[in-house]
Amino acid sequence: MSSIQIFDPSLCCSSGVCGVDVDQQLVDVAAEIAWAQQSGAAIERFNLAQQPLAFAENPVVKAFLERSGAEGLPLVLVDGEIALTGRYPNRNELARWAALDTATDKPEAACCSGSRCC
Amino acid sequence: MNFLQQAPRFLFFTGKGGVGKTSVACASAVHLADSGSKVLLVSTDPASNVGQVFGLDIGNRIAAVPAVSGLSALEIDPQAAAQAYRDRIVGPVKGLLPDNVVKGIEEQLSGACTTEIAAFDQFTGLLTDAELVAGYDHIVFDTAPTGHTIRLLQLPGAWSGFLEAGKGDASCLGPLAGLDKQRAQYKAAVDALADSTRTRLILVARAQQSTLREVARTHRELAEIGLRNQYLLINAILPAEQVADDPLAMAIHQREQTALANMPDVLAALPRDTVMLRPFNMVGLAALRHLLTGDGAGLAPAAQPCRPDAHPGLAELVEEIAQAGHGLIMLMGKGGVGKTTLAAAIAVDLARRGLPVHLTTSDPAAHLQETLAGALEQLTVSRIDPAEATERYRQQVLATKGARLDAQGRALLEEDLRSPCTEEIAVFQAFSRIIREAGRQFVVMDTAPTGHTLLLLDATGAYHREVARQMQPGIHYLTPMMQLQDSRQTKVLIATVAETTPVLEAANLQQDLRRAGIEPWAWIINNSISAAHATSPLLRQRASNELVEIAAVAKRHAPRYAVVPLLQDEPVGIARLQQLVGSDH
Repeated sequence: MSSIQIFDPSLCCSSGVCGVDVDQQLVDVAAEIAWAQQSGAAIERFNLAQQPLAFAENPVVKAFLERSGAEGLPLVLVDGEIALTGRYPNRNELARWAALDTATDKPEAACCSGSRCC
Repeated sequence: MNFLQQAPRFLFFTGKGGVGKTSVACASAVHLADSGSKVLLVSTDPASNVGQVFGLDIGNRIAAVPAVSGLSALEIDPQAAAQAYRDRIVGPVKGLLPDNVVKGIEEQLSGACTTEIAAFDQFTGLLTDAELVAGYDHIVFDTAPTGHTIRLLQLPGAWSGFLEAGKGDASCLGPLAGLDKQRAQYKAAVDALADSTRTRLILVARAQQSTLREVARTHRELAEIGLRNQYLLINAILPAEQVADDPLAMAIHQREQTALANMPDVLAALPRDTVMLRPFNMVGLAALRHLLTGDGAGLAPAAQPCRPDAHPGLAELVEEIAQAGHGLIMLMGKGGVGKTTLAAAIAVDLARRGLPVHLTTSDPAAHLQETLAGALEQLTVSRIDPAEATERYRQQVLATKGARLDAQGRALLEEDLRSPCTEEIAVFQAFSRIIREAGRQFVVMDTAPTGHTLLLLDATGAYHREVARQMQPGIHYLTPMMQLQDSRQTKVLIATVAETTPVLEAANLQQDLRRAGIEPWAWIINNSISAAHATSPLLRQRASNELVEIAAVAKRHAPRYAVVPLLQDEPVGIARLQQLVGSDH
């Protein structure tokens, strides 16, 4: 099983309540991650404002921050390698990385993943 | 004094800056110690003069006060507590992550909530650690935690995530993962607060309508979470015998009596004490002993002020503002310093010069709109109801984000949405629509977000900005923060009154704005007695106390400033607002 790590930009609270608007991306990705975790995927999330050490101690993440700055976040690592930057993954991407079967797990949701569908 | 009868173990004094909490708390502690009790006085006042009062250096450790038998004191600096907390989180990554990333993290941890909860963190030991405070009959605090802080700590959901498991969670407490005590200890502290046999809360207020309204809110909020043992203390009332031949003193006296007669019912029902305005400076032990009891006879009255220096008035500021022809004018400062009135006075004066002005206010009383709307050709007035804007924002968030949360998660989100930041953000969103008009005319606002909020908003906006840039190359994208940073477009005026704590609070606000790259344009010292013509000794005493604060603003804090006199009549309506400006056209 691959391990997926998501490095969030620094948010006062991960709900985005403190932001200019509640970020629908954050809402959606939270639901997708919950789905993938329930299906057995190994996913960890790190918030820059709360766990900066996790960013500093990972050479890949640290190099990314030096190159692209915090504006480049979020950053997704799969087995330690960069898989996605600048946006959050959708359900299909999570499923591919974690080798989950979207079709058999939730047949009725196969055509449209998550809340953004249809 | 009722509030000192059968005093319980813990006494908390609460009230906004400048009402005299620290003086009253000190006087109470001395009184209790003089009656034979062992007393610990805890000050969290950023302008703490407790050490000065007792003539010793106290600091962040318990120190015996030699001059008063049975009294010890401790000073907690909430800013330092918050800084220590930030250092704990950020320290390990300094030099490892790029500097601007580290700066961003620090900003996340620089809000008022962080300071507040860090200070509460320091309290908990005093409320729960029997050993630390074993010898004391009474512990007197010159401040109290807010309802928001206590409610957060009471919510089981707040503990399920970050604080216990060390995982991020959707909460204002999230950034406070570094709180270093156990859940049981916070719970014990909150329980002690809510136990009326152990804790008494004294609401300190001045006899002013707006202050009393605010105190009523604090009362309800804290009563709801169990702090029901509450007393009301009205400080610094002008005694009737002082008013005879001073029209200004007479007007103040009447205003105070009206405010007291019309105070909110929930306050009127509380046990109440009043403390008269004293003819002496509240410095030194003798003065403190006379604050609550006795008349201070034998204490030397403070020196009568010599003729105060001539200070610039509002007219000079408006003159300079008018030259630009358009722009955004924002009044900033703590509640109760008269931002709305000052904003209205500036707007009216600009409009009378024939310049188009949009005055927009969050004044809950809405009387501005009624008295000014349609009164001047060039003046439009609009109002944003902060409660309404906040509620709309709250509902929108709950309907989107809250939809998928379980009961605990939803309770936590609801509490997050009751944080002071939420109201600030909601109101600012409403205002930012009007800000755009400032390119064509004057827009005068009586409220503004803090630098902290602006920095957070801007950080969140960074992503959208990036998207906009990529989609339409070359398009000019202006965030509200960029507009506020541009001194050609925006003038920030800091409003305060000439008293120690309010001036210090205003200086902190200026610091906060500078962090966001915003340089305040001027300061306005409102309700100045020294700029008025008082003859009664009590008022002249207050006037003389003002001088040192005005000098501090003029010399240390403000690039330019104005002093606005306290008027006999409430500055309502065009004519009196004009009087406030002091211009003669």
